Amino acid sequence: MRLADPAAMLAYVSLTFGLLLVLFPVSFPMMVVRNWQNAYLTPIMILFTVSLNLGLYLTVTYQRSAKPGILASACLGSVPVFVLAGLNLLLQTTIAHTLSGDIPNGLARVNEEILAHTFFALIAAIFAPFLLIRLGQQFFRTDQ
Amino acid sequence: MVALGIHELTADWTSAKWLLWISLYVILGVLVPWIMTRAWAHQHQSTMRPRLKQVFQHGELGLISLMLAISVIWDLQKSQYTSYTVALGSVFLAMTGIMAGAVWIESYCRRFTGIRFTSERAWRDSRNLALLVFSLAIVTEILLDRFAKVIAL
Repeated sequence: MRLADPAAMLAYVSLTFGLLLVLFPVSFPMMVVRNWQNAYLTPIMILFTVSLNLGLYLTVTYQRSAKPGILASACLGSVPVFVLAGLNLLLQTTIAHTLSGDIPNGLARVNEEILAHTFFALIAAIFAPFLLIRLGQQFFRTDQ
Repeated sequence: MVALGIHELTADWTSAKWLLWISLYVILGVLVPWIMTRAWAHQHQSTMRPRLKQVFQHGELGLISLMLAISVIWDLQKSQYTSYTVALGSVFLAMTGIMAGAVWIESYCRRFTGIRFTSERAWRDSRNLALLVFSLAIVTEILLDRFAKVIAL
């Protein structure tokens, strides 16, 4: 597994996010914020990232005529869940801190924070498991 | 967000300044070096007609991506996002930038030590990671632009 394998797909996800922001500058962010307020955003992101990661992994193994490993599959299934859940907890703390302060235009700021968080967390959840697998491979090779 | 001047966030020409910013990187970092190799070949009456892929076949696109990542991290640091968002974005941009730069480093080490080197693979890896860093940079700049407008409201 090379990091360049998921990089292209990740770039397309990122560009799609950017395109949605440019084409729907009001409705898309509102949809994200509303889903976050209703606590749907994290489960949706987990479902999306895990499916995408497993799809990517199976595609790469098929292209290289390799057998999918159980350890790599477990990593791809679990790491996005931990990353997204952990980042969500951090975001909630940050929002509580922001809203408790006397900051002008606080609600709009919080909405933008949620939007930025959604983008970075989405990309991190897709990239992190592949990075771990890559580092694991490096470690294994050094041992040999 | 709804009550605070929704028109401020809608697309207009000033919102597209990130497009100009990213074009500068593409033109000065990628197209100009390629054009210069062609100009050199023309000046020295050489038959050499390198393609973009040949000019960046040792993973040099990875280095350009690292420079771009540094520039976006700097913009993020200057923004008024909370320290958490700044840290998350910076760490992630730095990580992808380093990974892109590592393609050139690996390519250099392989050539230096004489270990099997495939320019095709270095080009593919650096191209994919450069695409990732460029797309991340674009979206981060769009988010920064939106946030700056919200602050100004």
